[in-house]
Amino acid sequence: MKASIAMAGGLFSLLLAATGLAYAGGDNATPALAPGYGALGFVPPAVGSYELPALKMAPNGNVLDESGKQVSLYQVFGDKIVVFSFIYSTCGDVNGCPLATFVLNRLKKRMDADPELGANVRLVTISFDPEHDTPAVMRLYAANFKDGAGQWRFLTTASQQQLRPILDSYGQRIQREVDASGQATNTFSHVLRVFLIDRQRQIRNIYAVSFLHPDLVVNDIKTILRAPPIIARSSSKVATSAATKYSPAKLLARLQTPPLGLPPMPVPADNALSPIKVALGRKLFFDRRLSLNQTVSCAMCHIPQQGFTNNELATSVGIEGRTVRRNAPTLYNVGYKQRLFHDGRETALRRQIWGPLLNHNEMGNVAVGQIIGKIRSLQDYSNQFDQAFPTRGLDMETLGMAIASYERTLVSGNSPFDRWYYGGEKGAVSQSAKRGFGLFSGKAGCSACHSVGKRHALFTDQRLHNTGIGYARSMAIEPPTRKVEVAPGVVLDVATSIMRSVSGQAPADLGLYEVTQDPADRWKYTTPTLRNIALTAPYMHDGSLPTLRDVIEFYNRGGVANEELDTRIHPLHLRQQEIDDLVAFLSTLTGDDVGALVGDASSAPIGDPGGAATDGGVPQVTRAE
Amino acid sequence: MIKARWKRGIGAALFVAMAGGLTAGALLSSPAVADETCQSPYMAKIVGQEDFVYVWTLGVEGVGDGQDKLVTVSVNPKSSSFGKVVSSVSVGGRNEAHHSGFTDDRRFLWAASLDTNKIFVFDVHSNPAKPKLTKTIKDFVRKSGGVVGPHTTYALPGRMMITGLSNNKDHGGRTALVEYTNDGKYVSTHWMPTDQNLHGAKKTGKYADGYGYDVRALPRLNVMITSSFTGWSNYMMDFGKMLGDKEAMKRFGNTMVVWDLHTRKPKEVLDVPGAPLEVRCAWNPNHNYCFTTTALTSKIWLVYMDEKNKWHAKAVADIGDPSKVPLPVDISISSDDSHLWVNTFMDGNTRLFDVSDPFHPKMVFEKQIGSQVNMVSSSWDGKRLYFTTSLLSNWDKKGKADEQFFKAYDWDGRQLKEQFAIDFMKAKLGRPHQMRFGAYSLYAEKAPNSQTTLADRR
Repeated sequence: MKASIAMAGGLFSLLLAATGLAYAGGDNATPALAPGYGALGFVPPAVGSYELPALKMAPNGNVLDESGKQVSLYQVFGDKIVVFSFIYSTCGDVNGCPLATFVLNRLKKRMDADPELGANVRLVTISFDPEHDTPAVMRLYAANFKDGAGQWRFLTTASQQQLRPILDSYGQRIQREVDASGQATNTFSHVLRVFLIDRQRQIRNIYAVSFLHPDLVVNDIKTILRAPPIIARSSSKVATSAATKYSPAKLLARLQTPPLGLPPMPVPADNALSPIKVALGRKLFFDRRLSLNQTVSCAMCHIPQQGFTNNELATSVGIEGRTVRRNAPTLYNVGYKQRLFHDGRETALRRQIWGPLLNHNEMGNVAVGQIIGKIRSLQDYSNQFDQAFPTRGLDMETLGMAIASYERTLVSGNSPFDRWYYGGEKGAVSQSAKRGFGLFSGKAGCSACHSVGKRHALFTDQRLHNTGIGYARSMAIEPPTRKVEVAPGVVLDVATSIMRSVSGQAPADLGLYEVTQDPADRWKYTTPTLRNIALTAPYMHDGSLPTLRDVIEFYNRGGVANEELDTRIHPLHLRQQEIDDLVAFLSTLTGDDVGALVGDASSAPIGDPGGAATDGGVPQVTRAE
Repeated sequence: MIKARWKRGIGAALFVAMAGGLTAGALLSSPAVADETCQSPYMAKIVGQEDFVYVWTLGVEGVGDGQDKLVTVSVNPKSSSFGKVVSSVSVGGRNEAHHSGFTDDRRFLWAASLDTNKIFVFDVHSNPAKPKLTKTIKDFVRKSGGVVGPHTTYALPGRMMITGLSNNKDHGGRTALVEYTNDGKYVSTHWMPTDQNLHGAKKTGKYADGYGYDVRALPRLNVMITSSFTGWSNYMMDFGKMLGDKEAMKRFGNTMVVWDLHTRKPKEVLDVPGAPLEVRCAWNPNHNYCFTTTALTSKIWLVYMDEKNKWHAKAVADIGDPSKVPLPVDISISSDDSHLWVNTFMDGNTRLFDVSDPFHPKMVFEKQIGSQVNMVSSSWDGKRLYFTTSLLSNWDKKGKADEQFFKAYDWDGRQLKEQFAIDFMKAKLGRPHQMRFGAYSLYAEKAPNSQTTLADRR
């Protein structure tokens, strides 16, 4: 026993001497000393310039102090900030336990010299070799470091049985090594970890060999001393810019008196709007758990911050990345739409939602009952449907009615155009925009489909037309190469064969024909509203035109010739100035309420798995409807 | 800067741990190309014969049980099961399995998923031949404050640093780093710097896009480096569809960020246009640089610190013919910093670059592994290389070219010689992606029916 102690002490003396050596790395032949033996290789971050979030509570445990008395770790920690290290006294790995002890000794000297540290910090070393490191051994070990003001305690345990829960709770995995014959040796494998524990007994940092250095530890301690105590972990929130936002009640009030330029909102008699329905619909709209694998909500394709469409994609991407063939239409003023989807196949908002919910390539749900069951299993929806629909509760139709109620509130008007054209405010739009409107309703003929009324304008005739965009997509012959911008300004001509090798079969898209089966309806798509059009790029049903100028130039060329091309589409012979004027006009159609609507949407909770609610991962059997 | 904290046992122990520098010289008698050098410097490391390769595998609809799974392949030639799948643990669902990483004590493997944001934690120490799923973190998005697409799971002492690729607001590329404890408790979220909010970082070039991908730490310099890929919408969608979508192609990362490792604060945003992916830092303490490759522009980039401690990024070599979009994917640096393996997905090739002059890499070897290839992992001694094929479920090739295999090669410094291959489709497993090594020796155990000692390969 004595020999071992002497060995430990001798080793330590050797290490003290070793600090005179230059700290250096780079030589493969000799193990270099850890930074803790020398100067830190960088300037440590300034005290208070950073945070040390609480990792977890430092576990308690029963130990033996230097006198062999049973105490708890918490008794030893007291009300101090603690630097806590696991060692065994016979450890011979220069960058192992001796490093920890060496750095703690440097810390002790700093505590002796710095009253702030001396008063607030306690060093605690515990052995993970109770058989060898008895209290007597630890007392001898401690004798090397007892002088001075700084407090340093040396602990051990009565047995492996007492030690084990402490090791487990601090994640210290120790393996006693075996020799070639399988006999246990006196050496251990372990990952060196030193813990920094605050006064609330929360672990605030875990040091490893590469950065266990007194300069860092001291700055961490002082950073904790100068910051208010952390009681619970704080979760970072996504920054939202909800400067002016609407409450559900305010959203509703806007429908009573529609913004300038918009007609009254048609509301079905059996689905009168109420704040509770709007709030419920909004919650559903942003709930990613409503898709089969809990990744896709309505809002993932109709993104409020991107014009309630997706500015970053031509055509949408569904669950598991599945291909969606069309561009997500904006939901601004969707309550006025008479025919839904680009091919006009649906006529009621409350039913529309079931398309995306059940489509294999959108939200991927497998049955109505499965979705209803999932919502029933989510605790955060409990009673909400009963409150919103007192006589019905949650069923297939009320789910759609709630979402439709929220969508109806997305009215957006009182644009500069509205204030000029309907409000008589002469300076609301530029001269160029005024000329643009003249062209829009005159030479360019846009208003033939994008209708403008005497008292309000939805900028749509609610009908479907063939512009040739869909025809071209279906019928055009593939070119040998296609231009691909692989980085800003770096455009490559990529062989179509390369692109084909990684392309799935492109889905067919025949427009209204898919609904009516009438060949005359091939490639007909609904006329979209132009309100907020500056916010909803890219354009057309397939998102193929990136800018408004591209769209005007497309119509200026007369679309794409095909048998079913709408007769109103023909070459327009617009000059560049006229195209500029049309773009200026279209840019005046952005509502003054967009910021508030986006602000409201940004503050809506996003439904993700976890939290108080069950994760909804297991389909529940739906009770009889 | 050498930190061998783990003590070598006598006999079976054949691993060391490193923390920011080189391993003990005695254990590194033949520095060689090694995937193990791509691991966290805080982690225990296998330096001899690995027993297993853990392959994080994507389920394919209609193939076997269609679920993601951790597949364990026996790779020790002395084992009776050599070349065979010895374990397969299905985790439920298709989650877009992608990367995985061990905790610093190498007892648990954290396997992340880019689509459903679940993190599957496997116990790999109780029985290295048969990993066991012990925990599934399902609330990563909620806990992190909206981070989507957990990618790299990188060991820090007692905790895991997880890079995100996307967010739950728009499925675009703005994202964050997220820290967890080894116990699976959420700690904090560090958002990537953007033009709107640089979080105190300095924008040194044209871009501050806030995108994320990989992370590596250089503890001796107190530096952490991240790269940038793209958001959920792009990495999940059909590759061909995306190449034809002008808007989507504008949404790739063009930046790398240099962070203060200790404070987790971004310091500088560097321009690296074209989607810089894997980050591999040099090991020599006098080599203050890391490599990355840009997926879309097919270049090797050097990110380095000059004498005035200022960081720069420089394109230093082309990989193949960039106009043919070879798409460099996984890379691997040698422990002596002399060589870099670079896989290119589109042509299925692996290339070896001599990077002993990091400013002038030279290609010294090239071989086609298959019709497509993604990951490359090498043994510590550089003598064994393993390859898998899958990049992303919807980016992989279509039709006959969609080969899905795990292949083991021996490398003699001049040639790659195939040892065995496992067809993951025929075996009804799915698409094999990232590989991590396991060994009995890590846990002071002897392999049943075989001896695995350091001397075996020397």
